[in-house]
Amino acid sequence: MWGIVKDLIKYNSEFRIGATLILVVLTIAGLSLVSPYPANVTYVVAPDVPPSRAHWFGTTSRGQDVFWQLTFAIRNTLVFGILVAGLSRLLSLAIGLVAGYRGGWVDRVLMSINDTFIVIPLFPVLILFYFVLRDRMSTALLALIMACLGWAYDARLIRSVAMSIKSREFTETSIFSGMTTREILMQEHLPYVMPIVFSTTMNNMNWSIGLEVTLAVLGFMDIDTPTIGSMIYWANQHTAIVAGIWWWIAFPVGLVVMTFVGLFLLAVSMNEYIDPRSRLARMGGGVR
Amino acid sequence: MTALLKLDHVSKMFVRGGILSSHRVAAVRDVSFAIAADKAEIVTIIGESGSGKSTLARMILGIQMPTAGTLELYGRNVAKASRAERRAFMAMVQPIFQNPFDAFNPLKKLDRYLFMTAERFGGAAAGEVAQTAADVALKKVGLSLAEVRGRFPHELSGGQLQRVAIARALVSNPRLIVADEPVSMVDASLRMAIVNLFGRLRDEMGISIVYITHDLATAYYISDRIIIMQKGEVVETGDARGVLSAPQHPYSRRLRDSVLTADGPRLVASS
Amino acid sequence: MTGPPVLSVENLQAYYRTHYFGVNREVRAVDGITFDVHDNEIYGLAGESSSGKTTLIKTVAGLLKPPLQFVGGAARFSFLPGHDALATAPRAVALGVWWSRLSFIMQGSMNVLNPLRRIRRTFRDFALRHVRGTRQEFGQRVLDHLARVRLDPSVLDAYPHELSGGMRQRVTIALATICKPQFIIADEPTTALDVVIQKDVLGMIRQIQREMGSSVLLVTHDMGVHAALTDRLGIMYAGRLVEEAPTRKLFAAPMHPYTQHLIASLPRIGDAGHRNSLEGSPPNLADPPSGCRFHPRCPLARDVCRASAPPLIVAGGGHRVACHVVAGAGAS
Repeated sequence: MWGIVKDLIKYNSEFRIGATLILVVLTIAGLSLVSPYPANVTYVVAPDVPPSRAHWFGTTSRGQDVFWQLTFAIRNTLVFGILVAGLSRLLSLAIGLVAGYRGGWVDRVLMSINDTFIVIPLFPVLILFYFVLRDRMSTALLALIMACLGWAYDARLIRSVAMSIKSREFTETSIFSGMTTREILMQEHLPYVMPIVFSTTMNNMNWSIGLEVTLAVLGFMDIDTPTIGSMIYWANQHTAIVAGIWWWIAFPVGLVVMTFVGLFLLAVSMNEYIDPRSRLARMGGGVR
Repeated sequence: MTALLKLDHVSKMFVRGGILSSHRVAAVRDVSFAIAADKAEIVTIIGESGSGKSTLARMILGIQMPTAGTLELYGRNVAKASRAERRAFMAMVQPIFQNPFDAFNPLKKLDRYLFMTAERFGGAAAGEVAQTAADVALKKVGLSLAEVRGRFPHELSGGQLQRVAIARALVSNPRLIVADEPVSMVDASLRMAIVNLFGRLRDEMGISIVYITHDLATAYYISDRIIIMQKGEVVETGDARGVLSAPQHPYSRRLRDSVLTADGPRLVASS
Repeated sequence: MTGPPVLSVENLQAYYRTHYFGVNREVRAVDGITFDVHDNEIYGLAGESSSGKTTLIKTVAGLLKPPLQFVGGAARFSFLPGHDALATAPRAVALGVWWSRLSFIMQGSMNVLNPLRRIRRTFRDFALRHVRGTRQEFGQRVLDHLARVRLDPSVLDAYPHELSGGMRQRVTIALATICKPQFIIADEPTTALDVVIQKDVLGMIRQIQREMGSSVLLVTHDMGVHAALTDRLGIMYAGRLVEEAPTRKLFAAPMHPYTQHLIASLPRIGDAGHRNSLEGSPPNLADPPSGCRFHPRCPLARDVCRASAPPLIVAGGGHRVACHVVAGAGAS
């Protein structure tokens, strides 16, 4: 494992940059644990102070230190993204692998369900959920809903990989070695499917964070828990840009962009590494 | 004595096309033959592409079911077998595939498949017993566990890989091996080792082999009986050397005349 | 058969060099090959997997792509004086030569024929630019050519998937020969075809070669095809040429131990005698054996074989062989 990471750091500049960015983001998120100011309390410091030695990123109009708020915000946002990505990966993998391997009517039924989910317009549905659930809409619940809506596209990708591997002869060898379907999917096919799972995880995180920010900016979220979106929401409420309090918007946006770019670079660089063809070339096979 | 394998007017139809337009393709038409259980033999099925030989192989292996006729293993109809019986059949009838490089997952170690077969079909518990079973099987094909342990498929040549595939098939102590073009992708200089191995499996271990190929020369060399197929039907069958030396059916004759051998006549410009 | 050679390969070297995450590998696929192809002859190259024959023809034709690199030597064509190898010549020169003087027949017809275009259009795509004249004249020329190779003109209106495998390969051959190239490289032209069709396709290649007087470099692992079609035959092993002779002579009296074993192990209809195969397996070209690359598997191996690579020596009658033992026995 460490050998892989060391190789990537040495040879792949995309990985280096991406890893550095994510490391910075994670450090900031981790600092939330030692924040001198609690997350939800307002008016604990002087409002509208520009970035200075005492307050590195300045303070908000609500009397909160921007930097320490950001640590909570990015932590919550990241946790949200990971939750959605993780849950929806499980769904995509399960449905994609089974549909691809089984074929026949199982495949057709699952893909019909899949296509229905792809077509659902996400944004209006989420707003609808908000209006129905209103106060009970917490981050965790939103994560669950988004996971249930965000698996469909990737399930199809995984299914096509599964279908192409199914026709290869080593699948037959596994069957005649006595492996059960579950074992074949998990042990034989999964390594071929992992590159897609990996890159779609990163994409999924970006997508879910983006959507969460959008919803929060519009106020469709629990606005007391600090997330990137809610920070921007409050900044808008206090017309921060017009009032000249640029640091309230700039730093959250900058940090979330850094997260996106970092995740994207990681996905791209690791993908090339996990891809079976380049793995084979490294192991020594494949060049004739 | 019930036959080891008995095909009785077996046919296989495929339906191509969607819901609105479809047409039926007969891949295999009315094939009947049997392999005795008490005497091991090598039965060769010769045919060109589209002759149905691969479909026939898949039906014997149980991967596909006939659409007409019955296929029996030791007297039991394969189509009507229960799950447990199908598993027992899998232990009895093992395959060898054409492409040795694709027979194993390139990302996984080879010995894993041998141990797996030993545990699932050979009745061996994990660990020592499985390793011994794998080693015994590998020795039968001229390799050993020490040579193969921890290796990946790309580290071995085509001939060696095919031998490992045969060893894996032997772990479950099968009575019948279905080999679909097993040497067509193996280098010519290593081919005879595998073909000779088939002969040894028949003579020393009493395993019958269904050998599917388009190569008449190796068929002549190793088979006892031969079945020539064209477009899904059997056109000629009988003792291998006899049929190949003096084919009767026009298609068999054409096959025989098209074979290019090292000491054959030179090709003159033809139409 | 005499006269200046159409293709003169001299000490050709081409390696695969890969760098993946710090792992450097150099596979010496073609390592010092020397041979000539004369005018109006079919020269066969036999060899098994990892013998380097496919790499050799790619190098000769100048179709090198990373990780395959041209390392040294020459592959001179008589119609391209002044250039040592197409691989090192400027691209404009290569474009002028490909398909008009030097042409290819590849293994799978579907590697050549665009599945979305009718055959007529494919002919135009490949050959129009090399043929002076109007579209009409080109069309007529295509028809003439098809008549000469005995293909029905209705084939022009078909899509590739509407034709059978054998018919497609014959179309590919017609496509490759329409510009009357001086040199044709055929890479496993009939390997994917049924035995009955194979005979027709090979006959077609023979006929075209005779009529046009081109030279053909035929590469295949199938010794039967070589026996039936080629005039001279070269045997490749592990990136080197180990024997070369007129075909009949090679099959009747092979000198190199590898060739002897190879020919002896081929089964024949009518002869059920026991046949042995070679021990061991072809070497890994990233780490080949020292000296003669065949010595680990050779029954005649001596110390000198481990120490140095045997040179190709002339053994009379157009026969060349690279073996210390044979050289020692014969040269006395």
